[in-house]
Amino acid sequence: MTLSADYLAQVFNTTIRYLTPILLITLCANICSKSRVFNIGLEGTLLSSAFFAYLVQNKVGNIWLAVSVGMLTGMLFTFIIALFIVKLNGQPMIVGMAVNTFSQGLTTFLLQTIFHTKGVVNDVKVTGLPKVNLTFLEEKFPIVYKMFSKLTAVDYLAFVLAIVMFIILYRTVIGFRIRCIGINPEAAKSLGLRVDRYRVIAPTLSGCMIGLAGCLLSLGSVTMFMQDISAARGYVALAANNLCLGHPLGAIASSALFGFTKALSQILQNVAPMQLLECIPYASTIAAMAIYYAVTTRKHKKRKAL
Amino acid sequence: MAETMFEMRHIKKMYGTLAANDDVSIRLDKGEILCIVGENGAGKSTIMKVLYGLEQPTAGEILVRGERVRFRTPSDAMAKGIGMVQQHFMLFEDLTVAENIVFKNEVRKGPFLDRKTTFETVRQLSEKYALKIDPKAKISDCQVGLRQRVEILKILYQNAEIIIFDEPSAVLTPLEVEGLLETMRNLAAAGKSIVLITHKLQEVMAVADRIYVMRLGKVVAERRKSETSADELAYLMVGHHPATRDIPAIAPGRPLLEVKDLCLENDGRDILKSVNLHVDAGEVVGIAGVSGNGQSELEACITGLTASTGGTVLLDGKDVTKATVHERRENGMAHISEDRFLWGGATEGMLYENALMAKEDKAPFSKHGFLNKRSISDYADDLMKRFKVKASSNTQKLHELSGGNAQKLITGREIMMNSPVLICCEPTRGIDIGAQEFIHDEILKKRENGDAVLLISSELTEIMTLSDRIYVLFEGKIAGEFKRGAIDEKSLGILMLGGKINE
Amino acid sequence: MSKNGKGSGRTLSGLLDALGQPVIAVLISFLIGAVILFASGYNPLTAYGTMITGAFGKGFYLSSTLSRATPIIMGGLAVCIAWRSGYECMGGEGQMIFGAMVSALICYYMPGPGIVRILVAFAAACLVGALYCMFSGWLWHRFKVTFVISTLMLNYIANYVCSYLTLYVFRDPASTDINATQTGKLIESARIGRIDLPGLVNSLPDGLPFKEGLVKYFKGFNLHWGFVITVVLVILTWVLLKKTVFGYRSRMNGLNDRFALYGGVAPVKMLYVVMFLSGAAAALGGSFEVLGSKYRYVDQMIFSTGYAWSGMVAALLANFDPFGTMFASILLAALATGGAAMQRSAGIPIETVKMIEGVIMLLMSVKLLRLFAFRHKAKTTATADEKGGDEE
Repeated sequence: MTLSADYLAQVFNTTIRYLTPILLITLCANICSKSRVFNIGLEGTLLSSAFFAYLVQNKVGNIWLAVSVGMLTGMLFTFIIALFIVKLNGQPMIVGMAVNTFSQGLTTFLLQTIFHTKGVVNDVKVTGLPKVNLTFLEEKFPIVYKMFSKLTAVDYLAFVLAIVMFIILYRTVIGFRIRCIGINPEAAKSLGLRVDRYRVIAPTLSGCMIGLAGCLLSLGSVTMFMQDISAARGYVALAANNLCLGHPLGAIASSALFGFTKALSQILQNVAPMQLLECIPYASTIAAMAIYYAVTTRKHKKRKAL
Repeated sequence: MAETMFEMRHIKKMYGTLAANDDVSIRLDKGEILCIVGENGAGKSTIMKVLYGLEQPTAGEILVRGERVRFRTPSDAMAKGIGMVQQHFMLFEDLTVAENIVFKNEVRKGPFLDRKTTFETVRQLSEKYALKIDPKAKISDCQVGLRQRVEILKILYQNAEIIIFDEPSAVLTPLEVEGLLETMRNLAAAGKSIVLITHKLQEVMAVADRIYVMRLGKVVAERRKSETSADELAYLMVGHHPATRDIPAIAPGRPLLEVKDLCLENDGRDILKSVNLHVDAGEVVGIAGVSGNGQSELEACITGLTASTGGTVLLDGKDVTKATVHERRENGMAHISEDRFLWGGATEGMLYENALMAKEDKAPFSKHGFLNKRSISDYADDLMKRFKVKASSNTQKLHELSGGNAQKLITGREIMMNSPVLICCEPTRGIDIGAQEFIHDEILKKRENGDAVLLISSELTEIMTLSDRIYVLFEGKIAGEFKRGAIDEKSLGILMLGGKINE
Repeated sequence: MSKNGKGSGRTLSGLLDALGQPVIAVLISFLIGAVILFASGYNPLTAYGTMITGAFGKGFYLSSTLSRATPIIMGGLAVCIAWRSGYECMGGEGQMIFGAMVSALICYYMPGPGIVRILVAFAAACLVGALYCMFSGWLWHRFKVTFVISTLMLNYIANYVCSYLTLYVFRDPASTDINATQTGKLIESARIGRIDLPGLVNSLPDGLPFKEGLVKYFKGFNLHWGFVITVVLVILTWVLLKKTVFGYRSRMNGLNDRFALYGGVAPVKMLYVVMFLSGAAAALGGSFEVLGSKYRYVDQMIFSTGYAWSGMVAALLANFDPFGTMFASILLAALATGGAAMQRSAGIPIETVKMIEGVIMLLMSVKLLRLFAFRHKAKTTATADEKGGDEE
């Protein structure tokens, strides 16, 4: 019994660790979609943020500075994407892909020029984000301890940010306006709101969350950077955002789904070959979207029948 | 003498070489209801767009309460107390009525939205002007009339003193129109000044204090209501007494288009309820109705864009209910769509590409699947010449054309299909009177040719002039069928609004 | 009226419009690349110099550029077909991976003469790629899963599945190296043949003045016929897209799918036909890569080279014109082979090339010329607006 509880706690812990970066990106995707900025450059933005955060931590060794640089990178890239899409009328798909390609090139280029390696930098001397210390729980509640062990402050922050985003979007004036733009930008414009300005600034600010996600990747549960460390998380977040219908609290649920499937692929390692397990998160992304559509349209039909 | 709210002096507005407004001078006094009447394309909307900052005048000046102004955007106009109720509502569907009204001037509590006060403020505002609404209702649950009320409240919330209504009754049911006119009177009584743009003379005679009549971009007359009559206004608008067309009687042939018990259900709502109609050879049949009563859906079901949920459509006796658009077109149906850019054309496509649609697999335009560029280009030139489409070449893109020219291209394309059946929806929307006459002639030529034309239009005069028979569509049902001359405009109007006429 | 001077003026400006944008974008990108190189302590001039000689300087280099261009062009054609029809499909990578895998397996395991194996491999690769691509079409048609998400996710799945297959099921039995994840090497006859250009040059009559130079240049030239087939396919695609009823319908579908529906284009059929062609094209690219260059499927061979993405960039650069796509693909391939040379001789990371690609794409996403021409245009429209017409 204790063994299985232990095991579940382990599953829970793994799920959380995979969940939080996706949650953070989903929150950003959420703001982008509300601002009518179709952003598939999340992936590249994430990759660059992860790299620069790691770079600073490796060379300077100040975690505050590293996180700040990561966040700034996220904001800068998202700003470029929003600017090109909103102000210069760029085709969103191409703008996003351009940022992804550029980031891939940039990170690998710098990896080679700075760290003189092609694939992975894994320097044991570099410390990651500090883990939240829960040892006081270890004796009395070993299961709870196991569930939450080795999580960084940013992991917790992700959940807090989801709630904060909810409050901003649904309770404040700024959030109200962003939601309005999402519903009908023309109407917002007709009342003289500087819609374009909101559409650039809101995504840019939310880009800091991608930065945090990047920090989690390269300075979180592992402290290293490798090529393609983002592993399609940016795209998965797009899907997660579709699933949660753009609601920040729903984002927790939808990113939990992806966190769990990713954890599952880890847990089953002894059961099936790793390559096939790696497919699970991607396949379940597609499946989730298809099932979601099938269920909602069936509901629709049922209502019609009544 | 009442205070002058605004004055527009010698306004001129050019679109290219075309003068939409030429030397127009208009004045509005405090507390009055001013009507600007004129036919489609007379320039009445343009002059108000200039006032509201949506368009910049080419020449002339605007004074608001004696002060010279220059509005670059609607916000500038709003800041001076001018508000406009647009034809197309600008509302946020998923939000509440109150949220829509306070947008941009939200009631704040620090950085937060103060919901309680918002609802209270909106409730008070609605009571003050006797515009009943539920502040907490969602816009998506509101009917058209309510939405318009929200638009008006939005303007009042911004403290507008001058309120412009642009063709406000086009989308309303008769009862709602009554309510709207009442609202206007209330607002005027409360000291607001109102401009009403319309071409419906009954409304003008019901509420106006003073009237400007516009024709071809110019103000041709100014009248006090007490000094004029609907007949005189009609005369002034058209410039001559509307000529009755001489349409030769043709004995209708066999039915080319038959619609039997056509039903459409969407989202649990019945949009079309067992519609029965037929169009015979040599006949123009009109569908009259206030827009939003199922016309678009009827069009879509007949042409195959939407699958109907019941009933049959017969094309020259052949059942095409389940047929694709392509098969229907092959069987002799052509279709002028209601919305020219949404359905009727590709704005980024070149003119010859737009002209080719639905003929691409016919000789001489293609052979064995390969296109013949020359004959396509010649055909496009021919079409543009015959339908007087103003363009520099057939490789221009559709969006580079003005709305009227694009409409002519699309109408021309479908008429040149030479098909036995033409489904014709709003064929003259947004085009000038000369071109309208021309397209009407073409439709009548098709009729003389023994073809069947189904005409769906929101312009009652168009329906009355062209149709041999008229069906009235109300809430998705046929509310009546009349032969030419068997019904007058007034009774038709009553039926369109769901009323009954006593024989 | 269209046949007069005005018409030709339009086409001229149209040509300028079509060519100017890519040229400016490429130039600016190289400039930015130069800045990055300079900032990282390399000499941009030497770098670009090595790049050019490394891509075209010898017959051998030229042939490796063209051979690299082959899958890129095919990936680009796939994008041309799909995107022009309005389906923003990004699954080229997955299609190519499956195409490569399937043809590697067929040519290795199938009995019979080499040429039969090759033809069967082509057919099978096309079919598998097409079905794979139609699957994303089906996901969209049936479940409204957007192309972006479905195709991107499927790319990863395709790569992992083929990794699994190479590692566990079809691993090269001859290989002694435990770490080599690849399928068996194809026999000589089951590979695409070489173009004997050096031989052709040698057989030129001796009197020609430049023969010696040509012989010298083409000495190491080593290119498979897949490239020639690709060029033929480019021509065929161009004909298909520009000259046929299908091409017209697909373009209209891409410009306004409602309009296409209204005009009688069957939307579902269009979707699946386009997916079929697009999938087949990219898969064939993978097939050429295996049968012409690598002679086996090596794990990650498509994923790590990014051929499909380069193909997409090329198609975007060319605004989905097949010939333009071909030239842009060759340019990108030259960047890559040149980049490799740069890395070999000057130690400059090849990833510079990828950054340049990214910047090109970013610049291509907006109407650059329109940005530059904006001021000029604003002045002229006020006086000479050709838009005649009626008021709304």
